Amino acid sequence: MSETTAPAALKHFTLPIGPLHVALEEPMYFKLDLDGERVRGVDITAGHVHRGMEALASRRNFFQNVVLTERVCSLCSNSHPFTYCMAVENLAGIEIPLRGQYLRVMAEEIKRIASHLFNVAIMAHVIGYKSLFMHGMQVREIVQDIKETIFGNRMDLAAICLGGVKYDIDSNLLEYADSNLRRTAAHVQELIDIYRSDTFIGKRTRGVGVITPEDVFRLGLVGPVARSAGVPMDVRRDAPYAVYGNLEFSVITERGGDVHSRAMVRLREVAESIGIVLQILRCMPEGERNARLSAIPAGEAVARTEAPRGELFYYVRADGSDVPLRLKWRVPSYLNWEALAVMMKDCAVADVTLIVNSIDPCISCTER
Amino acid sequence: MPLFLKILARNLLQGPATEPFPYQEATTPQRLRGRVELNADLCVGCGICRHVCPGGAIRIEPDAERAGYSFSIWHNTCALCASCRHFCPTGAISLSTDWHSAHRQTEKYSHAAHYYVPYLRCADCGAPLRLLPPALAARLYAHSPVDMARIIKLCPNCRQIAAASREGERYGTGGTGK
Repeated sequence: MSETTAPAALKHFTLPIGPLHVALEEPMYFKLDLDGERVRGVDITAGHVHRGMEALASRRNFFQNVVLTERVCSLCSNSHPFTYCMAVENLAGIEIPLRGQYLRVMAEEIKRIASHLFNVAIMAHVIGYKSLFMHGMQVREIVQDIKETIFGNRMDLAAICLGGVKYDIDSNLLEYADSNLRRTAAHVQELIDIYRSDTFIGKRTRGVGVITPEDVFRLGLVGPVARSAGVPMDVRRDAPYAVYGNLEFSVITERGGDVHSRAMVRLREVAESIGIVLQILRCMPEGERNARLSAIPAGEAVARTEAPRGELFYYVRADGSDVPLRLKWRVPSYLNWEALAVMMKDCAVADVTLIVNSIDPCISCTER
Repeated sequence: MPLFLKILARNLLQGPATEPFPYQEATTPQRLRGRVELNADLCVGCGICRHVCPGGAIRIEPDAERAGYSFSIWHNTCALCASCRHFCPTGAISLSTDWHSAHRQTEKYSHAAHYYVPYLRCADCGAPLRLLPPALAARLYAHSPVDMARIIKLCPNCRQIAAASREGERYGTGGTGK
């Protein structure tokens, strides 16, 4: 039935998408107001994966919470304990030895590589480019193998602990990581060329879900979503933590602000992150990995880092006991999903899942 | 498109990227964090593993006769975070590369590893005592002139008394009996 002959009652209707949907990584429920094929309004309902983790955190001691925060989400499972430990260490005034800091950053960047590759592969899946999706996931598989070989698990690295890190690397692993990251870098360069020049990808993703730099500031967007609109915002550069100040890397930006720019930002960041890890493998100093732990005094502290999806912020309040009074975190997806209503305004129904995927929403993080 | 056709052709030539599990053993890296294991000879029962375990998967309990303590690791509660291994002062806990964790529903509540660590008796008074692992004792007494072989077989009380009598002999103020 064409739009011109459809009765008025069928032209305007509400379409539910989710909470379970093939193209959504995680459960999220959208109510779309449709005018034919066009989206006129979006209503987002959250709360499907709320697990009460902030309440759980105030019932566990500081050590146990390292692992609890690692289980908030699988894709940023290193950023959460990293930022949490930074907040607690800020509170207690614990200084991490240099080697420990380098090892922390190495784990963080390896996770970023895998997380970004996953998102751009899923984008190919959403637009129906299944063979590219398979290839993207296969490239990511090299990084998964690196994680499993160095850290012992494909997703939860268990790299971070209070006062430093739980792992170390020897010369064999160093060589292994170096050669495999170089192999990944070659594949990533190929992927960058394909995503940049492929006409199918271009037609499907350019000019879709556009945001402007003004939207970025008005909505407080962070991470690759902000950088895709040309706003060079990156905690690693703006407020260097750990050893990011000693490492060479550039903040990647694109100008389009659309789905395609966001994919390009992520792919180019993968190349940057590989560069960071290769630098670390070259210049990591020998020495102690862990600081001596001291009692955690009463008080409050914060810490922030650049997670794969943007700025991650932790707040901790303690009363001098070994259980925090309050642990609170604000995740990048919480800010970024506000942009969905702007991006989806007047888009086609077929682009909805593509736009959702382009902000790389982490619902487990947001709802915890 | 032409760029990707090149990759497609390459991937076709390379053949399957997946491993033919279960017809062939899956590759398992040496560092894989699998099932947690305890070396009961090294355990001193300090309980730091239980303190840092996020899921409460470790249980340490003295038995009724106070002849030793049981040490249980509940595999279904374990998050494989390796915190216990990291904080264990004697290196008694390790993670094996065994990732086969499938078990029947009926074994759900018994899927655990149980160990028993017996106490020794104090050489002087007979109070229950956990022997320091020799490697740890050697580290502790590395710079001490005292004969550790006898000291580590004493309970804290008797060790104090032995130390006092040693000092007494040394300064000529008289021993306290033993």
